[in-house]
Amino acid sequence: MHGGGHFTTNEVINLEKNTCPNREDRAGFGIKTYFGKASNLVKESKKGHIEHIERAFEQTGGCVFMFTTLRLYSIRNAVVISHAPVGCSVFGSGYRESMQHLPPFLDRPPQWDLHWMTTNLSDSDIIFGGTGKLADAIKEANRRYSPQAIIITTSCASGIIGDDVEGTVSSIQPEVKAKIVPIHCEGHRSPIVQTGYDAMWHGFLKYLIKKPEKKQEDLVNVLNMFSYTWLDCLEAKRLLRKMGLRANLVPDFAAVEDIEVMSEAVLTASFCPTFGDYVMKGLEQEYGVPYFRTPSPLGFKNTDAWLLKIGELTGRKEEAKKVIEEEHARWAPQVKTLKEAIIKLKGDGSIPSVIGALGQGRMLTHTTFFKELGLDIAASLTLDYDGLFVEELEELIEDVGDFDVCVNTFQGADQTNLVQRKDPDIYLTCPFKGGAYKRGKGIGWIHTLRPMIHPMFSQTFYSGAISFAEMAIRTFKNRSFQKTLLNKTEDAYSEWWYKHPLPYLIFGEVID
Amino acid sequence: MLAEKEFTFLEAPRFSCALGGAYMTVLGMEKAVPILHAGGGCGMVQTMGMAFASGFNSVTPLGGNATPCTALLEKHVVFGGEEKLKEQIKSTVKIMKGDLYVVLSGCIPSIIGDDVESVVQEIRRRPEFPALIHAKTPGFAGNSYDGYEIFFDAVIEQLLEEPGSKEKGLVNILGIVPGQHIFWKGDLLKIKEVLGKLGLKANLIFLEFSGLAALKKIPSAELTIILSPWVGIKNAKKIKDKFGVPYIVFPGAPIGPKQTSEFLYRVAGQLDIPEESVARVVAEEERIAYRQFERVADALVIFGANAPVAVAADSNIAISLTKFLTNECGMLPLVVIITDTPPIESQESIATELNEGLDSLIKPEVHFETDSYKIREILGRYKFLMIYASSQEKYLAQNEWQSLHLSVSFPSLDRVIVERSYAGYRGGLILLEDILSKAVMPFV
Repeated sequence: MHGGGHFTTNEVINLEKNTCPNREDRAGFGIKTYFGKASNLVKESKKGHIEHIERAFEQTGGCVFMFTTLRLYSIRNAVVISHAPVGCSVFGSGYRESMQHLPPFLDRPPQWDLHWMTTNLSDSDIIFGGTGKLADAIKEANRRYSPQAIIITTSCASGIIGDDVEGTVSSIQPEVKAKIVPIHCEGHRSPIVQTGYDAMWHGFLKYLIKKPEKKQEDLVNVLNMFSYTWLDCLEAKRLLRKMGLRANLVPDFAAVEDIEVMSEAVLTASFCPTFGDYVMKGLEQEYGVPYFRTPSPLGFKNTDAWLLKIGELTGRKEEAKKVIEEEHARWAPQVKTLKEAIIKLKGDGSIPSVIGALGQGRMLTHTTFFKELGLDIAASLTLDYDGLFVEELEELIEDVGDFDVCVNTFQGADQTNLVQRKDPDIYLTCPFKGGAYKRGKGIGWIHTLRPMIHPMFSQTFYSGAISFAEMAIRTFKNRSFQKTLLNKTEDAYSEWWYKHPLPYLIFGEVID
Repeated sequence: MLAEKEFTFLEAPRFSCALGGAYMTVLGMEKAVPILHAGGGCGMVQTMGMAFASGFNSVTPLGGNATPCTALLEKHVVFGGEEKLKEQIKSTVKIMKGDLYVVLSGCIPSIIGDDVESVVQEIRRRPEFPALIHAKTPGFAGNSYDGYEIFFDAVIEQLLEEPGSKEKGLVNILGIVPGQHIFWKGDLLKIKEVLGKLGLKANLIFLEFSGLAALKKIPSAELTIILSPWVGIKNAKKIKDKFGVPYIVFPGAPIGPKQTSEFLYRVAGQLDIPEESVARVVAEEERIAYRQFERVADALVIFGANAPVAVAADSNIAISLTKFLTNECGMLPLVVIITDTPPIESQESIATELNEGLDSLIKPEVHFETDSYKIREILGRYKFLMIYASSQEKYLAQNEWQSLHLSVSFPSLDRVIVERSYAGYRGGLILLEDILSKAVMPFV
């Protein structure tokens, strides 16, 4: 019913352990390098294991620590402590601003002071251990803010030196009112950054989520993350409210108490199946909370199916149908106009092509959505691919046909090579890619971010599908920005690289 | 005072680690390719954490997800990362164009004891291999400023050679850390321009046509100018010892006519430039600068005369800015919090600069503090009309202190800074434009 994934239907989540297994172990395999047909990926997957390709050339593309910690910063009534050298958590320095950008008239809770600290590990901490400093930081965090939770994220440095974080937590917890939640997200822990999300949920399941006092019959957990906006979340609340349900948005924009009560919900839904997989299974196993993983509410059909699934699993099927009907009445005329506009974009009757997607969750849903809009998939990008999503990928291929997949975790060179080779009409990207968006054709955004609140930045549900489609159309209307960059700035990559037949370089491939 | 090299736990400090500082420093140069021998996230974290926080800058096409990185994992911790690094260096040279390649090793290889030096030396011996150096910059070795200094130390040790002859009029500029000093690009270009008026050629190292060529010219300069009360002094000393280039320390990039003239006279004094030539430049520059100053006079009188002011910034920004606002604009500095990490001996000179160097009867209380909670506490004790700080103070200024606020120091996530600079004769005017634009309103 809920697409449990190919290799994990009988998975038992073991909360006795300090942390989860790595994603590549949970899922049978996890890869971050591949280029080829999606159908081939499914074929290989069915053997049960796909070997990692060791890269000769790699670029910085994030780590388990980074992706996990980013997702924890916005939790209210908590303090996040990075047990790490000072640089690891520097991207949180906007902590006093990010949520204040949300205007009060859009239902921003008035108290949204976020807090983060670093143990600022030094040379001598590396030699003698940093747990004493961690304990001091926990006590001080508690004194300063009296938070409900203190969330600790571990780093390469604290992991490799073997700091006993669990021991520190259990020895100091009696002195501290806040619930201490250690999350084992050392950067070097796993090549698959999804491991960090699993580790985060493991920490929540083990330490933070309370045993249910009562079932809240109208409460639905909606797992959302960094790459969805406040408006996307408000829209989730609005649509579920129409069905008589309350959306419990976790962990982005959540307060500690929202996480604590996840066990009392009647269902767990998600914006992203790979992000939420672990906690969905954990909540079902521990507290009998049912879940479904796919689809995500990106695009019209996907939104229909998402709402319908929630309706089915909460005994509100008729309500769901009614909501869909009402929403269609509102959005369908716009959808029709947009689709007609997209067909005409190229003028020669050919179908505009796109490279998009991001994580494997978006690969599954964006691809359907793009087809629905009348776009052709030049290739789909995904940060990684693992054995949890074999059935879903197979279903997707049945639905939209075969397509090229490029698995890379934010590798600028892969994407630059691929985009040059495929030359799609639209390349959807996000920042930091260096030269990847210097080109003659369209560029657009792959996703928007937390505090972006103009309706043009929404991306989920019907309204988001409209704004996304409008964005795709705009990429045809003026290309001077990327052309300026293309013509007037230097390319960082060599000619040799562009001639390389694959978008990645295998270890041993460089000839001296 | 801040104990030297004290690594306490901190809330939201206003700097990154040694790797972050060194990485941004390499990216500040042209045609210099960083190769991170580190965890896979380090470069992306610093791109988000430093480049975005210093005026929402995209890094160059060599930064962010384009930066080569060995992306070390558990298996490397167990078996070592040297082989991976060799392959990474060789492939990088094939894939990414540059004339200087800089290996920056992070926490993992430093803890597990990879012999990075040998790997780099072996590769460097290959005929026709491009310039390659290595700096050991684990995150726990220090902060962004330390990373800058470690990088320059590596340059001095591994790249620089005794020059054939001195280049007349060439001066090195040190002390401004890219990605940390939020106005680094604008300030450096301003300094080049103003020194140009004396016929001098500033070697900025950053933004020059080739980073490698600029670095190699360091030993042939006549003088090194440090634009910080402490960052880069170590490097300048070593450059002096090895290559005989003298140095002077100016506490920050000069803001406004007074400081800029003083700066020019001091530099000229070091290089035997006749005083008359300086006086000619000063007269012309000051004439325009002060005429323009009159144009903001009304706004200043109405909204900012004798304004009580708070400052929380990196030391070089804090000093130059406080001096300009106090000595030329009549503002009253109540409190200055130094948020970087000067060593003890420099802390004394900073405190002196912020006391004896100021013309007002009110002298600021000077604090050295890197913890953002404590900075908030300290600021809460004062009643001020304007605060010049980081963007962390933006909403506190609005909600708690009812004060005008301008981000002038790291992190500054509420403004885009590419060309912006307050340095030089007319830089102070731009500073006044920025702050007074937040104050002015129609009153009829």
